[in-house]
Amino acid sequence: MQTDWTPVALSHDIPVASAAPGRIGDTALAIWRSASGRIAAWSDRCPHRGMRLSHGYVRGERLSCIYHGWSYGEDGGCKRIPAHPDLTPPESIRVPVFACREASGVVWVAEGQPAGAPPDLAGFRGLRSLHIAAATGAIAEVFGGDGPVLRVKLGPVAVIALVQAFGDETMLHLMAPESCDLATLDALSDAAEALRRNIEAEATA
Amino acid sequence: MILYDYILSPSCYRVRLMAALLGAEMTSRPVDFHPGREHLSPEMLALNPAGTIPVLTDGSLTLRDSTAMLSYLAAGHDPEWLGEDTPAMRATVAQWLAFSQRLTSSAGAARAHDMLHGPGDIDVLRRAATLALRELEAAISAQRRRGMIFLAGPRPTIADIACFPHVALAPDGGLPLDPYPSIRLWMREIRALDGFIEMPGIHRLHELKPEPGPMPDIRQTRTTRDPKQNA
Amino acid sequence: MSVGAMKDQWYPVGLISGVTEEGRDSLLLGEPIRIFLDGGTPAVTGEGERPLPVELRYGHVWTCPGTPTRPLFDIPEADQLGRRLVDVGVCRVRCSPLRAVENFLDIAHFPFVHTDILGSEPHTEVTRYEVGIREDVDEVWATKVQFFQPQAAKSAEGGITTDYMYRVCAPTCSVLYKTSPPMPGEWDVIALFVQPLTETLCDVWPWMALYDDDASMTDLIHFQQLIFVQDRSVLENQLPALLPLDPGMEIPTRADLTSVAYRRWLKRNGFTYGAQLVAA
Repeated sequence: MQTDWTPVALSHDIPVASAAPGRIGDTALAIWRSASGRIAAWSDRCPHRGMRLSHGYVRGERLSCIYHGWSYGEDGGCKRIPAHPDLTPPESIRVPVFACREASGVVWVAEGQPAGAPPDLAGFRGLRSLHIAAATGAIAEVFGGDGPVLRVKLGPVAVIALVQAFGDETMLHLMAPESCDLATLDALSDAAEALRRNIEAEATA
Repeated sequence: MILYDYILSPSCYRVRLMAALLGAEMTSRPVDFHPGREHLSPEMLALNPAGTIPVLTDGSLTLRDSTAMLSYLAAGHDPEWLGEDTPAMRATVAQWLAFSQRLTSSAGAARAHDMLHGPGDIDVLRRAATLALRELEAAISAQRRRGMIFLAGPRPTIADIACFPHVALAPDGGLPLDPYPSIRLWMREIRALDGFIEMPGIHRLHELKPEPGPMPDIRQTRTTRDPKQNA
Repeated sequence: MSVGAMKDQWYPVGLISGVTEEGRDSLLLGEPIRIFLDGGTPAVTGEGERPLPVELRYGHVWTCPGTPTRPLFDIPEADQLGRRLVDVGVCRVRCSPLRAVENFLDIAHFPFVHTDILGSEPHTEVTRYEVGIREDVDEVWATKVQFFQPQAAKSAEGGITTDYMYRVCAPTCSVLYKTSPPMPGEWDVIALFVQPLTETLCDVWPWMALYDDDASMTDLIHFQQLIFVQDRSVLENQLPALLPLDPGMEIPTRADLTSVAYRRWLKRNGFTYGAQLVAA
């Protein structure tokens, strides 16, 4: 399945009032959720000194940089510079904001103006995100598919593999059927680990 | 109780953190590990022939292993932290304590290499550390599927405190934690514990504090360089 | 990347007390060097065992990979009686040597990176201070810098406003002067000597000359190591890794005037090893 959207994280890995690193293409992302639950994906770089915003902290509806505490609101605009508490930061200080949606427990990000909504993966839920030290091509080869959304079998279970290019490597976001019991989920997690070992062994062979 | 301590040592930090979480009183005796190599001084070798720190003394007792120190502190102040509810929990704690030594010899050695000119083959160290971090990530994700986050059960134990420092400081050794969402959430829970203290390289959770309002007037506390005011 | 004018500057390459007969291999501006004892005296060689000039000052071995254009900078306080000289040791950082110096010149990060030690919320304001390039010595100086410090010394109850002065005396070396709590009216000296290994890797050698008769030497060393390692995780996570000298790349405010002057001074002198001249 093809889509303008890139899967960057599983929703349950980014709880309220937290930030996490991610990436789209070659751009590092700060993916964060406000206290009220709003998800956002920004360029992972504070315009002040280039510090990664994913190392920052969330207070209420703002993300702040860990370096100097500059805080940014919903629109990516700088709202407060602690070194100058009385200053209203100029409009021009702004973090690039990416289109970001949540659907079926997945955080999707797009560059530019994406056409349409992210894929509907009804009936599945996020299991785990795994980093694989091999290019996406190696994963596609194993699964025999193409594109970021693959419906594949992992052992006896039909799962969805969301394949995200992560530099030269890959992030695999694994979705399991909602009906799976705990033992099946554990088995899927183990199977994913085994799959990763195989892919990496192939890639370095 | 005296802890022979080094501010940059993750193993010493294990003990400081445990003591802080338990509210245990402990005197820190700084050891000039770097650049002074005081841990190899005759006085320190008499205390610990292995030449490692931390060392914890309490009366006639001398402990030379940081995970043993965690057990000692927990048993003395709040045995809940030992995680001895069931045979399985007890064994799980023991397993993570042993695992934490793998972290010391991989991620810890990578950090010492990258930061303090420590010895070792950095690629070998990072590969071993990556295996350990992946195991930890898988285990925490399994706990999360059960509505838990800590390593050995529903509450934090000495197992979590033993593993936390070397994991949180792994980026110091060129091991980014970006690929480990469950580890990130687990660290966040530990950092949010009552009584948590930091060490250099592990930042405060600033989100626990509200965004400040307008600046308070600090002119009253302003001192000029006048000795009378500074006294 | 051409090493340019930075080739003719002085750099720290180790503690005098740490040099051994068997020696140690290192890098300077991307070139291999070796530091060793030659007949009991520290010596440094470059590629092809080419001997490099050596100065032994401020607890460290200094060398210059090119032809020194001027003598090693002077820190007169190093010779003042009553000061304790502290060799802090090394800390390696994956960052531009210029970023390491710029961070040292910055005070606005104290409440967030050195929380409850050098700064704390809500005392985050940076008041106006003075910055200039002293043409006679060609150094960047910032004076009348003040910042609220929650715990200025072990004995200090509550916070005080601390005075600072900053001095950039070489492209990768800076000295800060700070109100001395036990000796009001005097300044403690804290220096950051940075050895540029490559453009994105450096060995940082902090050094201090303090008025403090109470603290143990180990306490003094550990305090400075604590502060610097708190900075390290920031330094390793700035994008881009090189210090941007293109004014459009990062946004300074009034609190960053020292950094603005430092960047200008680097550009003017052609000190661009570790810098990014044009936005990538």
